Amino acid sequence: MTGVGADRSSGSTGSTGEGERADRPSRIADILASVGAPVFYVLSTVGDVFKTFGLAVYYTFRGKKRWDEVINQCYQIGNRSLVFITVVMAFLGMILIFQSGLQVKRITGDFSQMGAVYLPLLIRQFSPIIGALMIATRVGTGIAAEIGSMVVTEQVDALRMNATQPVKYLIVPRFIAGIFMTLVLVVYSTLVSFLAGMLTAHVYFEVPYDTFWDISLVRWADLLIGVTKTLCFGMAIPVVSGQAGLAAFGGSEGVGWATTAAVVNSSLAVIMLDFVVGGVGFMVFPTN
Amino acid sequence: MIRVAHVTKYRGRQAVLKDVSFEIPAGASLALIGPGGCGKTLLTKIIGGLVRPDQGEVWVDGQEITRLSEIELTRVRFKIGMLFQNYALFDFMDVGDNIAFPLRQEGKLDEEEIASQVEAILKEVDLPGIERLQVNELSGGMKRRVTFARAVIRRPPILVYDDPTAGLDPVTSSKIFILLDRLQRQGATTSITISHDLVGLRSICTKWAMLVAGEVVFFGTSEEIERSPTKVVRQFWMGESDEV
Amino acid sequence: MNGVLHRVGSSILSLSREVGGLAVLLGQITVRLFPPHLDGKETWRSFYKVGVKSTPIVVTTALLTGAIMAVQSSAFIEEWGAYGLLGWGAGFSIMREVGPILIGLMFSGRVGANNTAELGTMKVTEQIDALRTLAIDPISYLIMPRFVAMIVMLVLLTVIGDLFALVGAMIFADLMIDVSPQVFWHSLLEMTYLIDFLVGVIKAGFFGFAIALVSCHYGLKVTGGAVGVGRAVNNCVVASAIGIFFLDYLLTPLIDSAWAALFIRYG
Ligand SMILES: Nc1ncnc2c1ncn2[C@@H]1O[C@H](COP(=O)(O)OP(=O)(O)OP(=O)(O)O)[C@@H](O)[C@H]1O
Ligand SMILES: [Mg+2]
Repeated sequence: MTGVGADRSSGSTGSTGEGERADRPSRIADILASVGAPVFYVLSTVGDVFKTFGLAVYYTFRGKKRWDEVINQCYQIGNRSLVFITVVMAFLGMILIFQSGLQVKRITGDFSQMGAVYLPLLIRQFSPIIGALMIATRVGTGIAAEIGSMVVTEQVDALRMNATQPVKYLIVPRFIAGIFMTLVLVVYSTLVSFLAGMLTAHVYFEVPYDTFWDISLVRWADLLIGVTKTLCFGMAIPVVSGQAGLAAFGGSEGVGWATTAAVVNSSLAVIMLDFVVGGVGFMVFPTN
Repeated sequence: MIRVAHVTKYRGRQAVLKDVSFEIPAGASLALIGPGGCGKTLLTKIIGGLVRPDQGEVWVDGQEITRLSEIELTRVRFKIGMLFQNYALFDFMDVGDNIAFPLRQEGKLDEEEIASQVEAILKEVDLPGIERLQVNELSGGMKRRVTFARAVIRRPPILVYDDPTAGLDPVTSSKIFILLDRLQRQGATTSITISHDLVGLRSICTKWAMLVAGEVVFFGTSEEIERSPTKVVRQFWMGESDEV
Repeated sequence: MNGVLHRVGSSILSLSREVGGLAVLLGQITVRLFPPHLDGKETWRSFYKVGVKSTPIVVTTALLTGAIMAVQSSAFIEEWGAYGLLGWGAGFSIMREVGPILIGLMFSGRVGANNTAELGTMKVTEQIDALRTLAIDPISYLIMPRFVAMIVMLVLLTVIGDLFALVGAMIFADLMIDVSPQVFWHSLLEMTYLIDFLVGVIKAGFFGFAIALVSCHYGLKVTGGAVGVGRAVNNCVVASAIGIFFLDYLLTPLIDSAWAALFIRYG
């Protein structure tokens, strides 16, 4: 939300036409405008995101839902991101275990706790945030590209002319599917990166598999925080990306800009929510 | 039926519609003409409540719509059928579902009834039996006729056609104008038609409005526009340019 | 079964087509390095654009990431009473892994995706063909400056980002578990080595390279109007993310062992 698309918005407001320029804007006004445009853009985007979120929640509990479309979206999300997430999470598991192995080597040299310490961290932190960032990348951009191209080809106008709310018709199915599938994919991510870490620990540091496979340090609080984060991300990604799509304008460029706005805005939303939920989680469950 | 009063719309600091005012009585058919980019499409979008004007009021069937919420607007929009200049066909549906969409959203008819209406309207536009084709399999002219079918299938009291015959061959386009005329008579609809086909427009329209650079330069009847003394109107009507 | 085989086969085919396309682009760029030829003005403009575009989000991301790392470690630190290790723990992971990866991902979303959208739009509106007809080589004119700008800027942004992330971690360490800034910096400076910082920065250079290559490739290859541009952006960010994680996994041990070898030789 920070300055994304600001180049776009200032581009459109800056293109003053000929005529009607009786008062030539001064240099200072120009400078103020160039600072103001991104700020205005950020504020109005944040406002739109919250409005879209409110509508999405409202229509999730009110009115008929297109359940077949929800199922279709679930399938789309899973189908699009399964391979991608597997690859990324496997690398993440290998990287994290390799790095912490080096750290352990420097201090204690005792590798036996590696898996036990790694798992809660994965559940509470790495798997939700990296998984969600990847879903934002893969699914969020897809949502923005789809809805954005519907906007620039006036399909969304046609929906509205037929008394159909774009948020209800287009975003709500993606919202419901997004919440559910993000949860599924993050659980899957945790599994993949734990297994990849287990393999890495075995290969590089000779940690036996059954030593690594140790769930004793996982607290209920870790699960709760992990799931809460995941649900928040699952709600944020479709809403933020859908809003980016609905805000598209112009021709084929418009879709490109909407897509880039979606990936950046939803990644930022994920990072901010992670911080908020993580901080609240720490205050509610300090240490066991 | 439709009244537009002092509508102004800016793009950045430039006004793309300037103080546009006119009124279309119920049952009349308005031809909206003007050079490319003068704001015709934008004006129809404002009438449909898709774009909010910066100033001015729009009355549709006795209701001021510029300050209505999106939900309140739905009731107004059920009265309007709109044919979009760029087709605006849903590319995630096939032709049949596209045309059936307005009826399904209205939710008054059962599926069987809807299917028979879709079949009938496709026959009327000379495209029988293409329900199960995908939108991207259609040619430009076919898309135009499908959007036409989608706009009129609900028989709404107000119809807005944005360039209904662009890209059609002369025979098909005269057929479309005949269809427009028939709809107009049957349903006693109020309509706005944007087109560059002045001959076709003359066969169906009773009122004329001409926009140039966002301003109304002419509003009146067919007889009046033929004898208009204004230079831009005369030139547009005769298809002349300054250089000749 | 046949369907699965077919899908696997066609995925492998399309994957090798992508890799081939990337290699061709890389080749075209390498050829133009001898003799090196860069449009100075265009390069400078690219630097400016890339920097201005991404600094705000990199700083935001970095501050929050640092804060998250501090919050994250708080539980362990309190449990084990290891207050003196927080600076090192946060610094080590931020500079080596978390910083470069997250900043790289945000950079790919902001700059890489933007680049694909821009080049893609130029492609579908036939502007690139127009350049060719004006006898301007699109690769030297459009691609090279972006390449250089992305690599240099991602390195610089990672340095800046590391700093902000450490500041974020420091502030939240103070707020959450009362680890004073002095203790934080002391442990950071005592216990991290130069290499921990360098590993991250060197990797950032490679990430910048990967993002540049991927985003230019997908941008130049767009077909099919509005939908095509959207799809290209999508592919770009996905491929960048895979590239970042893959390179990270590959490079970290390589750089570490190269550094170790250097030390053994020159002591
Ligand atoms: N939502 C909007 N807000 C502000 N300005 C707009 C909006 N939509 C379109 N415009 C501007 O209005 C002007 C008129 O566009 P419009 O599409 O109405 O022209 P037109 O008369 O339909 O032309 P054509 O005959 O080529 O279809 C254009 O300059 C366009 O940029
Ligand atoms: Mg138009």
